[in-house]
Amino acid sequence: MEMIATTCVYCGCGCGLYLHVEDGRVVGASPSPAHPMSRGRLCVKGWLAHDFVHHPDRLKFPLIRRGERMVRGSWEEALSLTAKRLKEIKEDSGPDALAVLTSAKGTNEENYLLAKLARAALKTNNVDHVARLCHAPSVAGLGASLGSGAMTNPIRSLLSADAILVTGSNTTEQHPLIAAHILEAQSRGATLIVADPRKTQIAMLADVHLEPRLGSDVAWINGILNLIIERGLADEDFIKERTEGFSALRESVSKYTPEVVERVSGISAHYLERAAVAFGEAPRAAVVYAMGTTQHSNGTDNVLALANLVLATGNVGREGTGINPLRGHQNVQGACDMGALPAVYSGYAKVEDRAAREKMAAAWGTDLPSGPGLTAVEIMEAAEEGRIRGIYISGENPMMSYPDREGVKRALESLEFLAVAEIFPTETTALANVVFPVASFAEKDGTFTSTERRVQRVRRAVLPPGEARSEWEVAADLMRRLGIDADYSSAEEVMEEIASVTPSYGGISYQRLGISGLHWPCPDTNHPGTEILHRDAFPIGRARFFPVEQPELDFDPDYPLLLTTGRSLFHFHTGTMTRRVHLLDRERPGPTVDINPEDAKALGVRRGQMVVVESAEHKLEIEADVTEEVPRGTVFIPFHFQEAPANLLTVKNLDPKSKIPDFKRTHVRIRRAD
Amino acid sequence: MKPLFLDPDNLVPLLEELAETLEVVAPIRVEGEPVFATWRGEPLALDADNPLNSPVEFFLPQKEVLFKYVQYSGRYTFSEDPPKSRLILGMRPCDLQAIKVLDEIFGRELPDHPYVSKRRSTIIVVKNCTDPGEECFCASMGSGPAAEDGYDLLLTDVGPGYLVESGSPAGMFILRAHSCHFQEALPEHLKEKERLLDLAEEEIRKRMPALTPEEIRQAIEETDWEEAEKRCLRCGGCSLVCPVCHCFSVLDQGVPDGERLRCRDSCTFSGFSRMTSGANPRASLGERLRHWYLDKFVYIPEKTGMLGCVGCGRCSRVCLSDVDRWSLLREAIE
Repeated sequence: MEMIATTCVYCGCGCGLYLHVEDGRVVGASPSPAHPMSRGRLCVKGWLAHDFVHHPDRLKFPLIRRGERMVRGSWEEALSLTAKRLKEIKEDSGPDALAVLTSAKGTNEENYLLAKLARAALKTNNVDHVARLCHAPSVAGLGASLGSGAMTNPIRSLLSADAILVTGSNTTEQHPLIAAHILEAQSRGATLIVADPRKTQIAMLADVHLEPRLGSDVAWINGILNLIIERGLADEDFIKERTEGFSALRESVSKYTPEVVERVSGISAHYLERAAVAFGEAPRAAVVYAMGTTQHSNGTDNVLALANLVLATGNVGREGTGINPLRGHQNVQGACDMGALPAVYSGYAKVEDRAAREKMAAAWGTDLPSGPGLTAVEIMEAAEEGRIRGIYISGENPMMSYPDREGVKRALESLEFLAVAEIFPTETTALANVVFPVASFAEKDGTFTSTERRVQRVRRAVLPPGEARSEWEVAADLMRRLGIDADYSSAEEVMEEIASVTPSYGGISYQRLGISGLHWPCPDTNHPGTEILHRDAFPIGRARFFPVEQPELDFDPDYPLLLTTGRSLFHFHTGTMTRRVHLLDRERPGPTVDINPEDAKALGVRRGQMVVVESAEHKLEIEADVTEEVPRGTVFIPFHFQEAPANLLTVKNLDPKSKIPDFKRTHVRIRRAD
Repeated sequence: MKPLFLDPDNLVPLLEELAETLEVVAPIRVEGEPVFATWRGEPLALDADNPLNSPVEFFLPQKEVLFKYVQYSGRYTFSEDPPKSRLILGMRPCDLQAIKVLDEIFGRELPDHPYVSKRRSTIIVVKNCTDPGEECFCASMGSGPAAEDGYDLLLTDVGPGYLVESGSPAGMFILRAHSCHFQEALPEHLKEKERLLDLAEEEIRKRMPALTPEEIRQAIEETDWEEAEKRCLRCGGCSLVCPVCHCFSVLDQGVPDGERLRCRDSCTFSGFSRMTSGANPRASLGERLRHWYLDKFVYIPEKTGMLGCVGCGRCSRVCLSDVDRWSLLREAIE
């Protein structure tokens, strides 16, 4: 039996684990004791990370559509056909009729090459990935206020915080190893404040649990900040020396008195004050947030409000402080860093910036398109309208993960050509013209960048099944067929190129990535990496306060309930992997809608009954679970289950600043199924 | 057979000879941490902490193929791989005790073929624990730091080298067949063994005094399991890493051809005790955690005459919260 040290494939924690390999098969997983995040521990998904790898459903051979059927083809056929069709569409309708969707599950090397495939070979900036649906508001909001959209501090730093505000994060279920750090900090004396309308496990363990109404985040965050300023708990020195725009902010938040906050958010003055005092008085306070903050039609404003809070209290650039967006996928940070986004190259150099574009063009030996491309949801809209005619999707399942499932289906069906690279058949591969079978995390080399900017190794433990190949190899093969030099012999060689064109990854090489990896920015080969950002200065000089206002919360008497969506501990995302892990699927075998007992009583619904959840456009039938976990007026559906896909109901209500859809607040009504 | 002495310099040549006919499994370092894995000449990590992956895994893998099935013209044919001949070097007395418990469970009436066949084809070389890890409490569970029997060979690091004792015909055979690597042990080696193991035992007992089954039972009754449920992060790690835990589920993967798999399971998962109707006799996590403790300290002892906890401390090392055995027992003592 061999033990291969690698990085977990699920959430952004990026735990170090061993895959146990016997006779060319992965037969087990166990945590790495020396790894700084896992410290010899894993969550339930991590302990079972090996289990889907040899599942018989794995895609093993390229598939090519012949009429209604998908038939087995050779790699040569599949690659040539894909290159030919993409080239034809490009010649007919111009490069912007094409788009590439990459995957936060892929490695840095794969995301880099897929972005290069879009930009250098297809000549379009229409490249995006699931980060659009999770932390686009962080990239936009923190980018504007601090100059960088990533977590400011490493997770380890939370252990020395005196107060931690967790908002919009079901940390105990979605980032269990980070939750363990937070709870350890609490047991060492830190005050834990959790804001969540649901009674999640971490909310129930909190010292102060704020239960805001869905969509009222700006109000209560501004309210806390207002109290902090009123009580003289703001950090005047920090504000004076390192920020700008404070007076406008003070003016703006002064409106958010406890009375106003209570009226809008439902949080009583007592709890608001306790949270404000605990956060404001703490010598070191940190903010941790996730999708509950960002997945709103004012997601960027929510992030800006949190940024204002940490800046006004001087909680940036030190141990135990910071603003920490928890990333959902194990490599969503890396996919963003690699420029799998429509407006930036790797290292966040803007495509509109002529100098940056010329630098990349020189490095890649070709000319590059100049204007920013379309974002993920816009790509789907454009496809539906016929403006985009061909898409290459590598490792995403938009049919399940994007909002407005019916719209996505129409969009993908109206394409002239769709190629999908996947490990398992999905709802999306079912619509493809060509399907490439690709390697899972256990079958390829590369790097993942965890939520705390830690670049870590992924190692091949076993060979891919059948004829499956790594996504980076497929991207390179396609590039070559489209006339771009792409003779990479290994993932390591791709990383060398990444380091040469990406300043923040400049010092990163496989030799340097030991068990702990390296935190970017790591500009040169002698640089030790950067655990804490903004210690002495912000990349934009001074940090900026952006006053933000609470929008009016709409109420629809015909659809009186608010639907919010999320994940469960036992599944990951669209369930492509975890639903094939029998212990996980047994723990959570199917979808339910969580309904508060009082709402259930009013609706005449009991636990286990089938109900119909209806939004203005769509409806789905689903089993009811009656639980105090959700407050009155709110219902919750996890989005893992194709039997009752939550994204059938969620609408494309986009945040104007970051284009993220509002997954967390949809007007619905519920009735008993007949 | 008289105890022998093994010069550390002779250990690798001995293993090289053994590796010609057996798969040698030993603690080696991968990315800096000790793990039990197939030895291919890497430096040994015999002095490191007991690896987190228990060598019990070689008898009861996390996931194993029981047999493969192939359908042809409506008939099924089955095939299974023969067990590998293995030698496990550096197993600790706690893990050996776990195997003794499993032998009782899997080896008695209606023997479990996959377990027993692996057990029969494996030679166990135990290393006595002269350097117990921080979370270890084997002495309190009566499973260490010294192994009494059940091994094929027993090593004790007595300073200049290893004292080697054989405990089975297979062990004796190895000593005889590779006698050139061994010398006769001196009386001071035996004395040093006693001294070091007494010291180790004392050190462990200082941290955790021996508890009577009654005391443990009472501690379980007094524990606030609802509180434990609130704190438990439901990773299942305690039971997945436990060398005595042996619950499994069986599933067939692949239609029409495929494999029958046996996978590690855990009674801390709700699906483990949930019935088809949806009813669950141990519906809450607190009840399941309580059951896990009762299994260790009441049910397994009733069945096998041995405790179901060997004090290896792994559940404490992997607990995401603080509801592991060590913490709860310590609370009970205090």
